[in-house]
Amino acid sequence: MSSASTAPARTAAATSPGRPALPVRRQRLRQALTGWLFSAPFTVLFVVFMALPVVVSLVMSFTDLRSTDLRNPLAVNFVGLDNYTRLFADRLFLRAAVNTLGFVVVGVPLTMVLALAAASALNSGLVRFRTLFRVGFYLPVVSSIVAIAVVWRFLLDPEIGLVNNLLRLVGIDGPSWLYDTNLALPSLTVMAAWRNFGFLMVIFLAGLQAVPADLYEAATLDGATRWQQFRNVTLPMLRPTLLFGGVVTGIGFLQLFEEPFVMTQGGPLSSTLSVSFHIYNQFGFGNYGYAASASYVLFLAIVALSAVQFRLLRERS
Amino acid sequence: MRSTRLATAATLVLAASVALAGCGRDSGGGQDEAKSVGGGKASGEITVWAMGAEGEKLGEFAKEFSTENPDAKVTVTAVPWDAAHQKLASAIAAKQTPDVSMIGTTWQGEFAKTGALDPTPPDLIKKEDFFPGAWDTTIVDGASYGVPWYVETRLIFYRKDLAARAGFPDGPKSWDDLKAMAKGMQEKAGAKWGINLQPPTKTGSWQSVLPFAWSNGAEVASADKLTFDTPETAEALGYYQSFFTEGLAPTALPEGSLEPGFVKGDIGAFISGPWHMGIVEEQGGAGFKDKYAVARMPMKKSSTSFIGGSSLAVFKDAKNRDAGWKFVQWLSKPEVQVKWYQAVKDLPAVQAAWDDQTLSGDTYLATFGDQLTSAKAPPAIPTWEQIASVVDTEIEKLCKQNADPAATAKAIQEQASAIGTGS
Repeated sequence: MSSASTAPARTAAATSPGRPALPVRRQRLRQALTGWLFSAPFTVLFVVFMALPVVVSLVMSFTDLRSTDLRNPLAVNFVGLDNYTRLFADRLFLRAAVNTLGFVVVGVPLTMVLALAAASALNSGLVRFRTLFRVGFYLPVVSSIVAIAVVWRFLLDPEIGLVNNLLRLVGIDGPSWLYDTNLALPSLTVMAAWRNFGFLMVIFLAGLQAVPADLYEAATLDGATRWQQFRNVTLPMLRPTLLFGGVVTGIGFLQLFEEPFVMTQGGPLSSTLSVSFHIYNQFGFGNYGYAASASYVLFLAIVALSAVQFRLLRERS
Repeated sequence: MRSTRLATAATLVLAASVALAGCGRDSGGGQDEAKSVGGGKASGEITVWAMGAEGEKLGEFAKEFSTENPDAKVTVTAVPWDAAHQKLASAIAAKQTPDVSMIGTTWQGEFAKTGALDPTPPDLIKKEDFFPGAWDTTIVDGASYGVPWYVETRLIFYRKDLAARAGFPDGPKSWDDLKAMAKGMQEKAGAKWGINLQPPTKTGSWQSVLPFAWSNGAEVASADKLTFDTPETAEALGYYQSFFTEGLAPTALPEGSLEPGFVKGDIGAFISGPWHMGIVEEQGGAGFKDKYAVARMPMKKSSTSFIGGSSLAVFKDAKNRDAGWKFVQWLSKPEVQVKWYQAVKDLPAVQAAWDDQTLSGDTYLATFGDQLTSAKAPPAIPTWEQIASVVDTEIEKLCKQNADPAATAKAIQEQASAIGTGS
């Protein structure tokens, strides 16, 4: 059928070569033009405000641009990979990288476990006050970090803080959490987990509610315990949701900045200095090229972490 | 399709980088020539940026200038301190600067190096009028790029009653005195801490430590050379550290507990600037002013403190340059500086203003004035803030981890010279 319909057209083209092809080409051009015209508002905005800054910052990371070059930013030297090699000899950057890694390795699983526990509890146990708990757990997510920081600084105050007063009740002399080099980062990790698990909880809750009830019914008939049901039904069914949660939390936690910025200023002794904070400082010092290269290293780390998570949690067929 | 797109992107990046590589930095720059300012009264609109309390009050204060110069109108934009550096940097990059701006002294080197600031006209502004330490903060590559507006310096704040019981009714005079006083306050006067020294709050502790190095004859840094690694600096660091190792100063004092501790008598002394007079007097309530006193930095080879504050600078891209400089000159008149002190409590940078009874009549203020004549500032180099953060970090190790003073001086020198002076 199709060969029959195309045959006459082909013969027509053969009799007068080139001529009927022209309107087709022109039409195509017009179509393309119209298409570009329609997408122009987006394309222009994207190129000017997204693509161009990315390209410029990438180029910037290969130059020695400093804040003193503000008036003629083109008069800088091209230094190749110098910024990147310098970065890995920068003790402070390495310290920040180790801190951030520790924060992510402990913080992301902690947040996910907390969120999953809360979501499971809300899904099966705490049905009566579900809305209340959901709001309560979600509240830290929407609160301002500045307000949270003030409250937590009070809680963790070594003299008048609630945490240490509670410890004193059971006879333990609490440490000065935020001023101790070994405890400051763990304190911030716990605080970040507390602040962020509400968001994941809502997502996990939605994931849990999407698990078909008949699967649990079948499992119960087979005599599976609650824990076995969780391991063999809930977790596999929740894998895409867990993947999403892991990636989103991982990206957020690798960019750790607000907590140390408002709570510890990176101290004591750089024990809470994160990579983002270090980049922020470098931009502040006016080392634009150097800071840009550090940003790209962080970007690559985020891509790598996400790739690893996709690999670990992908569908197994 | 994808490969051609990638190729286009790669070509773009390559073209951009080739363009950049082709540009290159100018080697060396010509000295800026300071141009003179025309005579007569100021006219036209003068746009001024100012931060903090200065930004709020300057607009009202400048009305008097307009009375003297009827054709001139001063428009003040208040800029929050947090955003000020970024806003100025953007304005310079876009060449859309105000005529005049207040500038933090540690930013002077960076902004002057961009070539955005107009050199100070010597026919209008006289160097000798200002505290020498304050004037030095405006010098970049041998030329002045601004005018000190107000200053501050650091003194020892101490509790008179505790000091008397410790055997120092007139306060500490020398390094040995300061140490003995802190000890006495703990042992004889029941203070928990003899003195509070930075860090517990890390940022800016260099401002407390460098005065000790300067007082010991160390040079530390100049416009083209960094010399942290000297026996004088190491000795000063060792002295500073001893307050922590001997348990006279706290290593972890929570934020905001210094002032209550000082009022209660838990903390016998601390080092800070003029703003702390208002804070402790407010927290201590009526009569507290008689319970404490301020003393000059203790003497070693000299008694040298840190000088801070802000300057006023006129931009090369100013639309109304001459009137801008005239406004700056007006703000630097001794009588205007005194009035400005009365309005916002900013200490005058002009020495003649200190002869006024308002300032010389107050013994606390007079001590600040006295210290200011010999107070010093680090050189106005564009990399100073970064070097200062290195100093802060190493001092924290010195005081909290008991690092060796000589090794600390060496570590600072190593990192600072890697950063360089930006020249």
